[in-house]
Amino acid sequence: MNTHIYRVVVRSQISTGRLLALAGLSGVAILLAFVARAADDPVEFATRSMGTFGTNIFAPFIALALGCAALGDLVEDRTLVYVWLRPVPRHSVATAAFAAVLSVVGPVVVAVMTVAAAITGVDDLLVATTVATALAVFAYSGIFMALGLRFKRSLLIGLGYIAIWELLMSRLGDWFARLSIRSYPMSILSDATDVSMRLADRSALASYVVPLAVGLAGLIYTSWRLSRTEID
Amino acid sequence: MSSIQPQASPPPMVQAAGVSKWFGDLVAVSDVSFSIGAGVTALLGPNGAGKSTLLRMMCGLARPSNGSLTVLGKDPRADVAVLGRIGMAPQQEALLDYLSGREFVELAAQLHQVANPAEAARQAIQTVELDPDDPRRLATYSKGMRQRIKLAQAIVHDPLMIALDEPLTGLDPRQRREMIALFHRLGAEGKCVIISSHVLDEVERFGSRVLVIAQGRLAAEGDFREIRDLMDDRPLRISIRTDQPRALAIALLDRGVISGCRLEADEVVVVDTSDPVSFRRAVAPAARDQDASLLEMRPLDDDLESVFRYLVGQ
Repeated sequence: MNTHIYRVVVRSQISTGRLLALAGLSGVAILLAFVARAADDPVEFATRSMGTFGTNIFAPFIALALGCAALGDLVEDRTLVYVWLRPVPRHSVATAAFAAVLSVVGPVVVAVMTVAAAITGVDDLLVATTVATALAVFAYSGIFMALGLRFKRSLLIGLGYIAIWELLMSRLGDWFARLSIRSYPMSILSDATDVSMRLADRSALASYVVPLAVGLAGLIYTSWRLSRTEID
Repeated sequence: MSSIQPQASPPPMVQAAGVSKWFGDLVAVSDVSFSIGAGVTALLGPNGAGKSTLLRMMCGLARPSNGSLTVLGKDPRADVAVLGRIGMAPQQEALLDYLSGREFVELAAQLHQVANPAEAARQAIQTVELDPDDPRRLATYSKGMRQRIKLAQAIVHDPLMIALDEPLTGLDPRQRREMIALFHRLGAEGKCVIISSHVLDEVERFGSRVLVIAQGRLAAEGDFREIRDLMDDRPLRISIRTDQPRALAIALLDRGVISGCRLEADEVVVVDTSDPVSFRRAVAPAARDQDASLLEMRPLDDDLESVFRYLVGQ
């Protein structure tokens, strides 16, 4: 990994709008946690809210905003040339960008969701939420970083992907659900608290392996794409 | 193509053989072959001629659709290491605006693994007459400052081949002079400096070898003075406003200095000449002989586009 590129990508990702989105969604997570704590069945409410909000909304939307920007912003404003035109292996550029996305998205989203899980008072949920959110962040960050490099309107395409595929199509049947990232971290939460949730019926092994594989696939595609793409 | 034999030159650093580049149906570069050695070489051509595409291919930013292009004997698309010997200032103004000028140039030095990136950045920034201690972010830089900082990041690692896409745009006359002197200095140091421009007079000041690119093709190559002569010899279409257009046209035809004419309005005749020098000598005596007043004379196709069109047709 190239630390100089890592630092540049981290700096390019930080903008007022993105920080506000992070703060806003973090606030919603904490609020939901307090509501869950006061609910009649805190275990079920907490599991569902951590799953629905944390892995379905918080992680994918923040990963979308920052993942697409990691290399996508450089492509869009035509400054990728200043990174690409250097004797740096392409996989090193991709790894640096991926690390930058994970190090901005990961700590914030995972920490907020872990605090939220702690607030709910459901002990079984604490570690499961941390792991499930981390895996969701890893998978979505890989996908959206690749998307940012591949498409000009990656943010719109990513929004479409989350809304149409992850939130709608995944409900159409088991085959669709298997191709939905969110079903894997949700399964981890469901396993931890024995609360049954739609889509959350993946095997324990798959719940861990698939999000990791998806994130890595995004990273590999990004490396390949960087070595093939023509720079504007 | 109009070909003028170049003088003996050092071994080529950039070699293109039958290079073409197309984007869908659009042919940006068509079957171009050349070799460029150390010194300053200008890529001259109108906007949209394919200069930037050629420069991008030389730096490995784009892949030729056909043909081969090597820099220092290597394919810059396939060999990442050769990028360490290439410096480029692209045409676009966009920079990493959240960095200061110093950080921007230092980043380039770091990525090129320069031994002392901070010192190299400082020297490169001073070379382009900017202040290395200026803490302002690039977002606040003027167009001229952006051009110069782009140049600084292109030379910070002491590359052998330097590609500069319209590098004088936005500079004031004094800065232009300084930059042109810098290009000459780099060329004299044995570096291969390739500069694209669409401004004829600008290229004249480079006093260099010229590759004329028009409509994606190599229209001419050689010493600038020879190219200039070739351009001056091209046929011209000239509009003459006079109170005796018919008589003047006949007189010019009689003298054999025009090849055709067309009366356009009461006082205007448009003439074609393939010998502009003789035409210029003959037009005043012809008007005097016919007792005609010359009210206005202007070339209709003296823009750069028509010059290049002519060269392509040669």
